[in-house]
Amino acid sequence: MNRITFLTGYYGSGKTEIAINLAIIKRANVVVDLDVINPYFRSREQVALLKSHQVEVLSNQLKDGMYADLPFIGGEVYRPFLDESITAIYDLGGNDLGAKLLQQFGDYCVNTPVDLFLVVNPFRMETSSVEQVIKLITKIEATGQIEITGLINNTNLLKETTVENLIEGDTFLRQASKETNKAIVYTIIEKSLLPIDYTFAGEVIPFTRYFQTSWN
Amino acid sequence: MPKVLMKGNEAIGLAAVLGGCDAFYGYPITPQNEIPEYLSKYMIEHNKVFVQAESEVAAINMVYGAAGAGKRVMTSSSSPGIALKQEGISYITGAELPCLIVSVMRGGPGLGGIQPSQADYYQATRGGGNGDYHVIVFAPETIQETIDIIKESFDIADYYRNPVMVLVDGLLGQMMESVDLNKPIKKRFLPPKDWATNGMKNHSGRNVVSSLNIDPQKLENHNLKLQAKYQNVIKNETRFECINMEKAEYVIVAYGTMSRIVRSALEVLKEKGINVGLIRPISLWPFPKEAFKQIPSNIKGILCTEMSLGQMLDDVLIANNGKHPVGFFGRTGGMIPEVEEVVRAIERFQETVVK
Repeated sequence: MNRITFLTGYYGSGKTEIAINLAIIKRANVVVDLDVINPYFRSREQVALLKSHQVEVLSNQLKDGMYADLPFIGGEVYRPFLDESITAIYDLGGNDLGAKLLQQFGDYCVNTPVDLFLVVNPFRMETSSVEQVIKLITKIEATGQIEITGLINNTNLLKETTVENLIEGDTFLRQASKETNKAIVYTIIEKSLLPIDYTFAGEVIPFTRYFQTSWN
Repeated sequence: MPKVLMKGNEAIGLAAVLGGCDAFYGYPITPQNEIPEYLSKYMIEHNKVFVQAESEVAAINMVYGAAGAGKRVMTSSSSPGIALKQEGISYITGAELPCLIVSVMRGGPGLGGIQPSQADYYQATRGGGNGDYHVIVFAPETIQETIDIIKESFDIADYYRNPVMVLVDGLLGQMMESVDLNKPIKKRFLPPKDWATNGMKNHSGRNVVSSLNIDPQKLENHNLKLQAKYQNVIKNETRFECINMEKAEYVIVAYGTMSRIVRSALEVLKEKGINVGLIRPISLWPFPKEAFKQIPSNIKGILCTEMSLGQMLDDVLIANNGKHPVGFFGRTGGMIPEVEEVVRAIERFQETVVK
């Protein structure tokens, strides 16, 4: 994982939850919320949690910005590129539409090596075949003008996820990795399911669901 | 893979397609935009109709026209957008046309906010259009139930020649759950649409779709016919779920997202030694009055809970008919109640009593 890492993927693939988990586990200084697609469940809602882990959230400084549905991102999102002491995870909105926001960082990426990881959950209908994953990669790379440097396996059916599902997902991702020539960097597995006696591709990230309600 | 992970709004779009939707007409508004976004792609790819109209008023009138031509049509919107559609809904009902309206509620009044709410209960069940009319309103509590109901909605709308509204809050639209898209739905006998304005091939004489009825006697007769139809809807389509009623000390009434919070509250209360039942209306109109017959006669009270400030409460009071004390608990404006708040409302029931 480079000092600056962008997370992209089909919408609803789990980017935001993974951004928060990775920021905490990998001790990033900053999470940048670039999601202008979703109105709910955005990383800016987890400011307090991330603050308790010494992670700052950058998004916009608009009054009531947390609840606004505006395609507006503040200038402070460039800060990690200007300050080399910062480790940052950028949480993009879904699909190629969300990846549009990558374009503005293109000039900065010339001198700063960045990672762009694609989060894949094969239980999402639009990424349930390798062909669809390839199509999504092509679209995101074409829109964002940055090459995807790795895959994150986020196979899950939320609470209904089984170990069999995870192994099925691992097989799927390995195939996608082979065909796209992109490495699987992480496999995300809900903490309660670990340990599992199986070797998953990439580093296993024990996952905590932070967008939890007090009800089912 | 039999199960997939879906977001509420995209599930609504796909379920509508599975229900046989021929055309969608709408205008964007948060928090339901993923419905038109999903359908804009799907409908065009499958040679069906998708129109982003110039306004909500235009969209509902396109629904009116296309429904009149005998097609399975829908629109979707959120609170202030549904407000704009009220005139069209009244016309469609008056002209006895079937359609599906999906309403994804956000905080109001006015522009309000974009967070989830249930403050459009009156708007859905009472409506803002003119005349003696009803739309059939279903309020599912999970994405799975939303899919199942949407798939059936076009059949119900066609059967009664009346709009069906599926009412969810923004949270159901935005949250994700694993779902099965292939659950079977009830088979209904649907008569041919020999009233549709789709050419003279299948019927003799001219078909006219209109809500204009200038002769008062004819208009009264038309209304009596509508009322007879509504009686059938009440008899056949009233839906609800009752949980843990037998030994209940209290009964909570809740629908949609609120009922999910209440389900968790019931477990907490049970651990505390308080037995509480739940009436979950699935159809809001017709409101399931008969569910209240299952309430044990010796309960201490009924608590109506909403993500609004006392709208379904009216129907609870009517159904209760003065029999038991009725209390109320609600949050609004986009605030989602915590389980603990519902637990506290039961523990301090006396303080919540409104009648």
